[in-house]
Amino acid sequence: MAVTDTTDQKDVTAMTGTKRLNSLKPGDSCILKDIKGTGATAQRFMDLGLIPGVTIKVVRNAPLVDPVELLVKGSHVSVRHSEARKIEVIPL
Amino acid sequence: MTDIAGSADSADSAEIVVAVAGQPNSGKSTIFNMLTGVRQFVANYPGVTVEKRVGRADCRGHKLTLVDLPGTYSMTSYSLEERIARGFLLSGEPHLVLDVVDASNLERNLVLTFQLLEMRMPMVVSLNMMDVAEGGGVRIDPKRLSEQLGVRVVPTVAKKGRGKKEVCEALMSTYESKDAVSDFRLDYGPQLEQSLATVEQALAADDRASGYDLRWLTVRLMAGDQEVRKIFA
Repeated sequence: MAVTDTTDQKDVTAMTGTKRLNSLKPGDSCILKDIKGTGATAQRFMDLGLIPGVTIKVVRNAPLVDPVELLVKGSHVSVRHSEARKIEVIPL
Repeated sequence: MTDIAGSADSADSAEIVVAVAGQPNSGKSTIFNMLTGVRQFVANYPGVTVEKRVGRADCRGHKLTLVDLPGTYSMTSYSLEERIARGFLLSGEPHLVLDVVDASNLERNLVLTFQLLEMRMPMVVSLNMMDVAEGGGVRIDPKRLSEQLGVRVVPTVAKKGRGKKEVCEALMSTYESKDAVSDFRLDYGPQLEQSLATVEQALAADDRASGYDLRWLTVRLMAGDQEVRKIFA
């Protein structure tokens, strides 16, 4: 998989139909396309099953918005919105 | 032997030291309690305030010293818990690893199992929470899994004390067998494998790499592991 540095790719995502995970709403589902990050965060994402091709369902936001709860391969995983922003997804 | 290994002060040499590894909430501590009963004490790993639980168990007349490692999702060097767990495994102190796997979450748990296999230590897998897995409609063939991983796989329900004898038996059989280390090898694909081979070849001629499994060292270096890089600093 390609793990690249975080870059602001608003224009690119508009063209490819991909979104950042943090922009999805509870109830939305998507497929993980790429992780835009390196090091500890990217490693932890992958450890938790967040790898390219996996289906993610956004379950809910915590009372103060952060973190966001995800359903991945039957596991509930909570991530910060700032981290979710590093995950590029294809909305379903 | 190493910079990154952290030994721990326990166990006389006559005992078999078993490191109990596993992801958070895999039931690692429940397995630990099942095997040791109340014969355990709590300390800290040298120099850090991360809890270290040590307990004793008797298996087939042999004395086992079990060390409960911190729960980690993987064995990199990104967090203190991972560095401690890995350091203890590399210290040369444990004779065996007992990898506790949450059967109801097998795919995610196998990430750690693969990393432990890459460290090439004699290992037993405890397929824990089999009741939860079956209740959720997950069916796992322990025999097939054992064949694929090249290590003994024991289904357990530690909460109900199920599988205690079988885990003991598997640990002792692994300890006693001559080819206890699995030859399981994760295939990283043609592109990466080519690079891995090149690096591994270079490491084979490097004295600083002696004492480590070359394949493991190579994979960790390629992953940019900061602790492993220190060996060659």
